[in-house]
Amino acid sequence: MASVHESLYFNPMMTNGVVHANVFGIKDWVSPYKISVLALLYEMSSSKITLPERRRLNKLILPLQQGPDLTLDQFLKTVEECCPQTAYAVKLRLHEMADGELKDMEYFFSTLPTPFTAFDSEAYKTSVVGLFMRHMLLAYNKLSFSQVYKLYKSLQHYYHSHFSKPGDSLPALAADDSDMDLTSTEDTVGDRADAPLLESELRSDNAPSRGPLSQKQAEYFLARQAYLLKNDENKALKPAALQEELNNMLKFNPDFAEAHYLNYLNSMRVQDIFLSAHSLLHYFDRLILSGNEGKSNGDEGYGRSLRYAALNLASLHCRFGHYQQADLALQEAIRIAQESNDHVCLQHCLSWLYTLEQMKGSESTVLTQDSVKMAAHFCLPYLGSLDIQSLVQQGAMQGKAAHKLMDALKDTEILHWKHSLSELIEISLAQTTSIWRMYGKSTMALQQAQLLLNMSSLEPVNFGVHQNNTEAFAVALCHLAELHAEQGLYNATSEIFQHLKDQFPPHTQHSKLWMLCDLKIQFERHMNNRKYHVAEPLVKAMSALNKTEGLYRKAIVLKALNRSTEAYSILQQLQAHCEKTKCTEIIIRVMLSTAELHWESSSFSTALPLLLQALALARQHHLQSLASETILHLAFTQLMLGIPEQALSVLHEAMEPLLAHGAVMDKGRAMLLAARCHMAVAGFRLKGRGPLDVHSAALAADSLNEAASYFSKLNCKERLRDVHYLQAQLYHSLGQTSQSNKSAMNFRLLDQELQSPAPPVFLQL
Amino acid sequence: MKMAALCSEFGDLAQIKKQLISVISLCKERGLLHSAKWASELAFALDPLPKDELPPAPPFTEEDAQDLDALTLAKSYFDLKEYDRAAYFLKGCCSQKAYFLYMYSRYLSGEKKKDDETVDSLGPLEKGQVRNEALRELRVELSRKHCARELDGFTLYLYGVVLRKLDLLKEAVEVFVEAIQVLPLHWGAWLELSNLITNIEMLKSLSLPDCWIKDFFMAHMYTELQMIKEALQKYQNLIEAGFSKSTYIISQIAVAYHNIRDIDQALALFNQLREQDPYRIDNMDTFSNLLYVKSMKPELSYLAHNLVEIDKYRVETCCVIGNYYSLRSQHEKAALYFQRALKLNPRCLGAWTLMGHEYMEMKNTSAAIQAYRHAIEVNKRDYRAWYGLGQTYEILKMPFYCLYYYRKAHQLRPNDSRMLVALGESYEKLSQQVEAKKCYWRAYSVGDVEKMALLKLAKLHEQLNESDDAAQCYMLYIQDIFSCGEQLEHAEVSTALRYLGQYYFKNKLYDEASLCAQRCCDYNDAREEGKALLRQISQVRDQVETPSADLFAPLSNNTPVRRVSPLNLISFTP
Repeated sequence: MASVHESLYFNPMMTNGVVHANVFGIKDWVSPYKISVLALLYEMSSSKITLPERRRLNKLILPLQQGPDLTLDQFLKTVEECCPQTAYAVKLRLHEMADGELKDMEYFFSTLPTPFTAFDSEAYKTSVVGLFMRHMLLAYNKLSFSQVYKLYKSLQHYYHSHFSKPGDSLPALAADDSDMDLTSTEDTVGDRADAPLLESELRSDNAPSRGPLSQKQAEYFLARQAYLLKNDENKALKPAALQEELNNMLKFNPDFAEAHYLNYLNSMRVQDIFLSAHSLLHYFDRLILSGNEGKSNGDEGYGRSLRYAALNLASLHCRFGHYQQADLALQEAIRIAQESNDHVCLQHCLSWLYTLEQMKGSESTVLTQDSVKMAAHFCLPYLGSLDIQSLVQQGAMQGKAAHKLMDALKDTEILHWKHSLSELIEISLAQTTSIWRMYGKSTMALQQAQLLLNMSSLEPVNFGVHQNNTEAFAVALCHLAELHAEQGLYNATSEIFQHLKDQFPPHTQHSKLWMLCDLKIQFERHMNNRKYHVAEPLVKAMSALNKTEGLYRKAIVLKALNRSTEAYSILQQLQAHCEKTKCTEIIIRVMLSTAELHWESSSFSTALPLLLQALALARQHHLQSLASETILHLAFTQLMLGIPEQALSVLHEAMEPLLAHGAVMDKGRAMLLAARCHMAVAGFRLKGRGPLDVHSAALAADSLNEAASYFSKLNCKERLRDVHYLQAQLYHSLGQTSQSNKSAMNFRLLDQELQSPAPPVFLQL
Repeated sequence: MKMAALCSEFGDLAQIKKQLISVISLCKERGLLHSAKWASELAFALDPLPKDELPPAPPFTEEDAQDLDALTLAKSYFDLKEYDRAAYFLKGCCSQKAYFLYMYSRYLSGEKKKDDETVDSLGPLEKGQVRNEALRELRVELSRKHCARELDGFTLYLYGVVLRKLDLLKEAVEVFVEAIQVLPLHWGAWLELSNLITNIEMLKSLSLPDCWIKDFFMAHMYTELQMIKEALQKYQNLIEAGFSKSTYIISQIAVAYHNIRDIDQALALFNQLREQDPYRIDNMDTFSNLLYVKSMKPELSYLAHNLVEIDKYRVETCCVIGNYYSLRSQHEKAALYFQRALKLNPRCLGAWTLMGHEYMEMKNTSAAIQAYRHAIEVNKRDYRAWYGLGQTYEILKMPFYCLYYYRKAHQLRPNDSRMLVALGESYEKLSQQVEAKKCYWRAYSVGDVEKMALLKLAKLHEQLNESDDAAQCYMLYIQDIFSCGEQLEHAEVSTALRYLGQYYFKNKLYDEASLCAQRCCDYNDAREEGKALLRQISQVRDQVETPSADLFAPLSNNTPVRRVSPLNLISFTP
């Protein structure tokens, strides 16, 4: 029954059972638009045109010949810009044909100058124009009777659809200069010709064309969307809309393999594993076919796509975090590549292999080193320097000497600029930023981040889009946000986050970076203001993004809430875990937190070895900010142990880097600690009055003032209250009553505002 | 209509026959040939009615009388495939019958033109753009009438077809359901609806009239949705209700058996079918598949020649010939015939898949992939194409890559052991023994067709030094092989026996070991080993003869694998 309604078509492109996937290979088919171009060429060769006009028209020829089909409106407008007279002539000629009869079109084709006879004209057989004309004539002559009639019908439709409603002609995609490499050599050409087209291009962004697209249009659409997906996802079509477009395209031409690939990319955007795997495999199934004919050397083209198919599958699984699956796919790719001696593919596989190892959290330095060597051997600069970059990253984690890392980065930098690998330049800058941040040199980090953000990309700007949605940008921006937050510039921070939110919407791949960063900053703020109940819910969100970080923050909150036993067990667990994964920064932080727990039970002496161990670790890995932090802890411990002189001398060591690079909070804490040490040295007691060492007391007063200024910058009232309390006591001891009263009043005001009792006599840093 | 209400039971076969007869004439008048054919076949299977019980001709209205001449003229043009001409003369007619024929002619004219256009389009770009231009106008007109509730059962059906062609599937389903409710006896509407139903939930959610024809539809749907057991039950009920002579039902049952790989049953039914209806071409491709699977060369050759004599330009004939050549290992010719089948009907699913198989035989993997992909495009639920793709990649030595395809196939046929075995093999190649074991065991549990799963499972256990499990599997394997009665070519009973012999020997179960060793001697490749083992056993027995044999009694009872007594073997020995 059903068969009655089925179409009885057979595929003329099918030979030996294989439908040639690339039916687009045959590019020249006569279409109404092509006839218009022919008419233009005819007019140009037959009529007298002034020289400047002719020059402009000549520049137009190539884009018109190679671009996608335009509507008559656009076409005439473009020609009019160059030479109104010719445009009118073309219009007239088209009118003649469209309003006449079929014979008028036949007559037109027969009057075209034959490229084989016209030796002196532009239409000579080897010229660009001649070639085009020959193609067209050939294609036209091949048409059957009914096809000719159909062509004529469509020409009429083409012409009348323009003139019946000139107001709202269909938006069509504009000339695409990326695949017109011939024009790009003479840059001035495109500018003029494309100027009117850009407007229509903008319009077409919002209203993607319905219905079937011509080949060029389809190719242009795919290229454009793929480029946008890569470089600035927000400007590409929304996932659902793009999916609809692609479905539409595939419905009309199921053989268009590239559409499947774009489908894959699109599904990746929305994290749809099923559809993306399906599209990827479908794409390669199609590619395997088309690859077969292209390569002359037998099996090469075909096997090649097989290898890369397996490799792509590996990357897909990697992206979705299926490491075991990715591993299997990768092994398969490696095996096939080995069998066919494809070193380039093998090299790609190797890069993926160590990436995978890294993601799984195991040691991969050796692999990476091998990869660097191989890449150098096969002259693959991109992979080579990518390998070096990941080596540097691993080295930084393992505490390799800083100068070596920087040297390596500098060397790759030379390579990048030589080969214009702009993507890697960005990664390199972002990496330097991260490394400086890790070492605790905030100024350098700031400078590198700014450098990246202000750098103009080397990539040609296509479709009016700069590439700025790579991971490198996200990382740099996150660092920038954190650096600003450290200095208490919360407004700037929130602005940066707003930008990040726009640039990397929550569903995109790199959005997790800024989400975590945002949460961290909020958490810190709440902790500093002792709003533990607000900080607690953030922990859950953080653990969703990063387990280790979440666990650490949980321990901190628990500690702050005086649930020491739980906090202690988590810290122990975390330390064991991090020692396994070699996450030095967290290890040191955990040690510091553990030491703080010891303080709470007043066992200061037990905290000492822990702190010393942390200090050694921090120094070994050049982690300056953490080292300073450790020293602060150390000094505090010593103060509590009653050796303030010792504490002071230790503190001096940390003071300089802290003031230079530290966060405002750390600076304040350091000053407060220094003041307390000075007071202790001066022989100050909280209760009772004794003679004071005036010199030390003055130093203490200065430090307190400074600390107060830092804390007030952060608007950290809790700590400010402590400072005022100490100030009041100190001035009181020194007998400066008015100062003392003032500080006491400040204290009282803050105390009323905060409405929470101060913690027992400063058992914390 | 009233008919639907009258006949909810099969009880009155005469009533059903009456309905069929009246619907046949209705369909014929409207040029709905396939529905008429189906109904006629069914009517033929029922006992003839006495003269006075023949249903009266449908009432003849004034409108009908007015349009009679135009209708007769148009119908004759229509029969000669001059659709535009038919439509021209029907314009302005107001009877329902004429209106349907008018619209249907326009629809078919559009379809015909579309097909012609495709052959000489202006270029490949237009290939996808060719469409039935009439559809949109038809839709507009029909939807206007639909809103005004002026459509009868046949025009509703046509409206549904138009909607489906315009890819408005949701609306199409609604309209088809409506058409069925108005005119339940029109089989074409049911068939169209069946093409739009994708899963059992959707089927259950539809409100269909309670008519005897619904049982036919449900049985058809169950077959489509691979719920073979339910389908067979339905068909059995239909046969018991009195349709035992219907060739349609016999062929459907045969297809259902084919789907669950019950080859013998299916073959028997097809033979019966050919006896009853020797010039039948429908479903013969399925029959040839069965003959192919059974390697019945003479029968297949006879079938092919017979069909060529009947009509050589039929898709089914081409498929049968393709199968015939394939069985003779002339794969190029086979591929050629499948291609011809596809030229006759490019949406013929089976031919794409079969062509894929042929290319696989010819080691032309890229063409095979292409063919399978086409098959999937036509029907996403074609498990054979997915399976074929998997096999292709397996041949290309990409075991991980083919997993995806096998998984797809398995998803579509969860109870088919072949996919499971293929999955297991791929996992084994990837050294994922745990998954492989699961697959093999599952394959055995769902009823292994090729009897390979257990052997593979046993070998896997053997590799992993899980000797108890391996022995257990070999045991089951031997039972399985002997219980199915027939000799399988690849049967590796000797391997199993050899292993079991050694296993019992190691576990000091000498009686069982010697039994196995003796059985080993029946097979050429294991004879020497069997003898050697027997010698060893007798040696050991001599040595341990002196201590009391009782010592071994508790030991042997404690051996882990005593779930199946080894003595069971004897009962299965052929």
